[in-house]
Amino acid sequence: MAESSDSVSEPLPISLVAGRYLLFDINVVTYLRRTHHICGTLIGSIPQIPQQNVFLGLPVELMPEEARLLVEKEAAYIVDDFAWHKERFNTFKGADRADYLESLRSEGFKARRAAEATSQNKKKNALAKQAVRKSREEALEGAAMKDPTDGGEAESPFDYDRPDSPAPSTVSISTNKPYAVTPTATYSTSSLPANPAQQPNPDTTSSYHLFAHLHSKDYFVMPGLRFGCDYNVYPGDPLRFHSHFAAVSYEWDEEIPMMDLIGGGRLGTRVKKAFLIGGKDLESKAQDGDRVRTFSIEWGGM
Amino acid sequence: MAPSATTSSPPPPSALSQALMSSTATSDRQGYEHPAYLLHLAQTILHNLQYQHSWTSLQIHTCSSAMLPLPRPMISGLPPKRAYIHPDEQAEIIKAEHEAGTSIEQFAEREWVLPTSIGEKWSLKRFTGVFDALDVVPPTEDVDGEMEGEGEGGSSVGSKWRGANRQKRLLLSTLHDDSTVVYYIMHDGIVKPRQN
Repeated sequence: MAESSDSVSEPLPISLVAGRYLLFDINVVTYLRRTHHICGTLIGSIPQIPQQNVFLGLPVELMPEEARLLVEKEAAYIVDDFAWHKERFNTFKGADRADYLESLRSEGFKARRAAEATSQNKKKNALAKQAVRKSREEALEGAAMKDPTDGGEAESPFDYDRPDSPAPSTVSISTNKPYAVTPTATYSTSSLPANPAQQPNPDTTSSYHLFAHLHSKDYFVMPGLRFGCDYNVYPGDPLRFHSHFAAVSYEWDEEIPMMDLIGGGRLGTRVKKAFLIGGKDLESKAQDGDRVRTFSIEWGGM
Repeated sequence: MAPSATTSSPPPPSALSQALMSSTATSDRQGYEHPAYLLHLAQTILHNLQYQHSWTSLQIHTCSSAMLPLPRPMISGLPPKRAYIHPDEQAEIIKAEHEAGTSIEQFAEREWVLPTSIGEKWSLKRFTGVFDALDVVPPTEDVDGEMEGEGEGGSSVGSKWRGANRQKRLLLSTLHDDSTVVYYIMHDGIVKPRQN
C-alpha cells in the first residue's frame, strides 16, 4: 500500500460483472470513500473459507445508485467486463501484451519485496527478543549453562505459523522470481475505452432521487437492509458515526399505509434514528435543486 | 345485560359522543365545511389530547392563515411540557446550564396535530399539501394567558430552534379502531434524531 489513493485519476473504471458493479483496486476504493463519500460494500471472502463472512475484503460492490452517481458526476465510468474481454482478449498482442506482462512482473516483484521486508523485520524482532531474553536469563542464573539454540528457538512464536524454511539452495534460485499475481481483469488498464462517456447510465430504481439528494447534502448513504429501509444514512464516515436516518423512498403519489409510517418511526426511534421518507416532488416549481421532498418521523414520546 | 334488555331506551351518550355532537355545531365557525367523519376524527384526537395527555388551549382549524381550506381539519394546542427539543438545542441548554449552575426552565410551545386513522393511506404529495398549508407556529386566536416563553425567549438559550425559527413540524396522530392514539413527531425536511 505504498502508493496512496492520490495515485488514482478520474474518471475511474467500474467493472460490471454479472449485473454487479465492482471495484478491485484498494486505492480506488479509499479514494472514492474519502473524496466522494462512496463506501460500497466489501464482498470478497477467503477462497478456502467462504463461510467466514464477518471480515470481508476486496472486491467492493457498489449499489447501482452509487455507480450511477459516480457516472453522472463524471468521476467514473462503467466497463462491461464480459463484453470488453470478448472484444479485446484475442487482439491482445504485441507491445500491449508485452507491456501488460511486464506490469504483472513488476507487481510480482513488488509483492515479493514487500513480503521479504516483512519477514526480515520479523526475523530481526525475533532475534532481538531472543537476545534480550538470553541476557536476562544469564543475569538471573549467572553463568549461562544452557545450549543457546535450545531454549531460544523452541519458544519463538514464529515457529508455529511458518513451515520450516526450504533448503538454502532453492531459496537462492527463487529470489529472482516474481510472486505470481492474479489479475482481476483480462485486459490491461491501458486498453480501457478512450471515450468513456458513451456508456449508458446504470439502471436504478426511482429511489435514486432520494439517494442523490441525501448524498448531495454530504451524508454517507449505505444499504438499509439492517433496519428494513432503503438506505441507512450516516452524517459522516460510517466507521466514525452512527447513522441518523433509516430512509425509505416513495413515489410522489405512492400510497403509504399508516402502519408503515408508525412501524418505521417506532423502529427508528428505538435505534436512535429518525425514519426518513422522501421522493421526487413532481409538482415543485423550483428551478434549482433536485426537487426532492423529505419528511423525518420520530416517536412523539406520548 | 339482562336489565338493559328490558328497557328500550339507548344508554346515555358518553363524554366523547357528547363532545362530538356539540363540536359539529361549532366547528364551521371558520367558514369551511369538511366531511363530518374528518371533523369527528379531529374531535376524537382532541378529546384524547385533552383528557389523556393534559393538553390545553386546544382548537380545531379548518382554514389556513391565508383563509384557504386546509386539506383536513387540524388541531393546535399547548402540551403540558415541551413536546420536542431539537438535539442541538438540548446540547446548548445543557452547556448553558453547566456554565450557569442553574437549570433553565423550558416552556411548552403550541404544536400542530394532524389527525389520521389507522386505515388510511397517505402519500408524499398529501403530506406536502398539509405542510405547505400550515404556518410554522399555530396561530393563537384567544390569548388567555398562555405562557409560551416567547416574551423573554427572544435571545435566550436555544431560541434558534424555537418559535418561528423552528423547523416546520407537526404531531402525526393516528387513531386505531380500539381508540388508541399514537403520536409521532413529523418534521418537514431532514432533521437529525434526538439522543433519547
